[in-house]
Amino acid sequence: MSIPFGYVLALSGIVVVLGMICAVARRNLIMILLGVEVMLNGAAIAFIGAALRWQQLEGQAFVLFIIAIAAAEVSLGLALIVHLYHRTGSLNPEDYKVLR
Amino acid sequence: MAAAGPIDTTLLAALLATQLPFVAFAVILLLTRSRPRFSAGLSLAAITVSLLSAGFLLVRHWGLARPLEYSTLWVASGDVSIRTGFLIDPLSLLMLAVVAAICFLVQIYSLGYMAGDPGFSRYYAFMSLFAWAMTNLTLAHTLLQLYIFWELVGLSSYLLIGFWYEKFSASEAGKKAFVMTRCGDVAFFLGVLLILLHLGNLNILDLNGPAAGRLSPAVVTAGALLIFGGIIGKSAQFPLLTWLPDAMEGPTPVSALLHSATMVAAGVYLFARLFPFFSLSPTALAVCLAVGTVSMLIASTMAMVSRDIKQVWAYSTISQLGLMIMGLGAGNYVAGVFHLTTHAGFKALLFLCSGVFIHSFHSNDMVAIGRQGGRRLRVPMACLVVAAAALSGIPPFSGFFSKELILGALADLPNPLWVAAGLLGAFLTTYYTFRLIFIILFPAEGGPETEHSEDTRHRHDGGYLVMASPLMVLAGVTVFLGFGEGAIARFLTAPSGAQPGASHHAWLPYAALSLCAAALFLAWFEFGRRGAAQVGFVERIVPLHALFSNRWYMDRAYRRLLDHVVYGVFSRLCARNDQKVIDGAVDGLGQATAAAGGLMSILHAGMVQYRLIVVFVSIVFMAIYFFV
Repeated sequence: MSIPFGYVLALSGIVVVLGMICAVARRNLIMILLGVEVMLNGAAIAFIGAALRWQQLEGQAFVLFIIAIAAAEVSLGLALIVHLYHRTGSLNPEDYKVLR
Repeated sequence: MAAAGPIDTTLLAALLATQLPFVAFAVILLLTRSRPRFSAGLSLAAITVSLLSAGFLLVRHWGLARPLEYSTLWVASGDVSIRTGFLIDPLSLLMLAVVAAICFLVQIYSLGYMAGDPGFSRYYAFMSLFAWAMTNLTLAHTLLQLYIFWELVGLSSYLLIGFWYEKFSASEAGKKAFVMTRCGDVAFFLGVLLILLHLGNLNILDLNGPAAGRLSPAVVTAGALLIFGGIIGKSAQFPLLTWLPDAMEGPTPVSALLHSATMVAAGVYLFARLFPFFSLSPTALAVCLAVGTVSMLIASTMAMVSRDIKQVWAYSTISQLGLMIMGLGAGNYVAGVFHLTTHAGFKALLFLCSGVFIHSFHSNDMVAIGRQGGRRLRVPMACLVVAAAALSGIPPFSGFFSKELILGALADLPNPLWVAAGLLGAFLTTYYTFRLIFIILFPAEGGPETEHSEDTRHRHDGGYLVMASPLMVLAGVTVFLGFGEGAIARFLTAPSGAQPGASHHAWLPYAALSLCAAALFLAWFEFGRRGAAQVGFVERIVPLHALFSNRWYMDRAYRRLLDHVVYGVFSRLCARNDQKVIDGAVDGLGQATAAAGGLMSILHAGMVQYRLIVVFVSIVFMAIYFFV
């Protein structure tokens, strides 16, 4: 294996943190969903790296599941967002405070 | 009849007599409040069975030689044990019969008097509660049991005085009665505790037996005086007498039952119940005698000026109770108890007759009743005259015999002051009684008499018969009870073995009768004769009239005391404490909570991303905690 495991972990950490920042800082529901997806991808990178490091196949299987779930989640999330946009005409999370 | 020996049937009858009214009370209050006729029937059925049992007990144990006791252990704590049960002796049997009979008659009378009242069921529920408490009080086996039912009787009195609670004066009167009798009851309870501490139990027979003789005289005197405090409150004696006239705000049958015949007589009954105990302390007896005398005279003077028919009877109740206490205080047990019995009959009769007038003419004022033609109601008028004659002590009626006994007991005392006071009281009693009779019987000028009376007769036709029948029964009792004097005296004194105190004062009946006649003549001269001014000699003396009609300023003194001491000092301190300390603490707590909530609400932004931040930050901290 050419790339050291530590680098892979660092990359995955960077991607997760980027996703976090995106999810927290952007004032747009779609971008929040996007951030969450990016975080999932970061986690997937860590799994791939670990599967390579220990030469085990389970890590890659996990990643397949993660991708599948992420796809399902995106489709659900986008459907919710479209519905919310129809109801309120806004994608800004600050406007959704009915329960406050 | 193998199982039912004599003892079992006695116990069964006592249980039936005392506990059935409670069943009626509970059922009416819980289930049948919306069905007035059914409730009244239930209550009447209970009191009928009660009366039959009481009569059965009285007949079966006529001539009872030694008291019967039925008891079970109720409270045991350390070496103090308190039992509960029934004590059956001549005194309690006689009182039970009186109570049950008057309760029964008054409940029948109330069918007419209270007809159509919105609180009809409630009325009968309270009447049953009273009957339960009073019958249990009479058969109480220990002083504690007696005290409990004593308080329950007070409670039912409160409920019935304030029965028409929409009327402000009625609810006030109920409160006044409750608080004033409670003042006495505190003393009573202290007395009970004192006796419990020194004697170790509260059994009435022990208290009256040789065990009490071993107590030190100081303890006996203190206990007797404290218990007498309760008697003062309940029987409306001298310092605590002003609640009784106000208690007349209740329905008239209630006044007849509770506030003349039975409940207020409970005080005298307690005195008689503990008579051997009281006689151990000459000081206590002297105090009782003095209090009885003062109350009798003061109340008689108040009755001389009142125009309210029920108030006159209320004052006369106070004065007759005072007379009973005088008789007991003079050491004659039979005289006091016999007067209690006869008084229950004729005073209930007086009130029930007055109730018919009040019901028909919608007025308590004797002058107004006279003007509207009170004498046209023949049966109540005749019964009223019979009862008034008994109250005045005119010979063939029951009051004559019992009053003579008491006066004889007073004449036995070394100091002639007491018998003089008793005779003066008899004079005043006759005077105010016949003042009322003459005012109703011979109204000064005929008002709009005819059409009004026709009208009322017509309207109350059905109720009138229901109300008149108890009157006739009571009038019969009033006429004939006096002749049972010897039998009742022997019955009462059988257990103690003492002879009925036969006093030989040949001059006494003549003196009493001539005073009665003088008072009767004075009343006739001032109120009864044709063209009389209908102004009493008291009303001509202005300061005396003011003094009497203001109840010797006793109410005003109490009001002063209440305003300046109770409201001015204690209530104000309590209010201060309430406002500053308690309210302050509670308000502070509330405000602090609200402020804390305000602080916390800053965190509550209601935005998804802030929550995400919190989640992420906590994940980071957890990662740092676990992996670093």
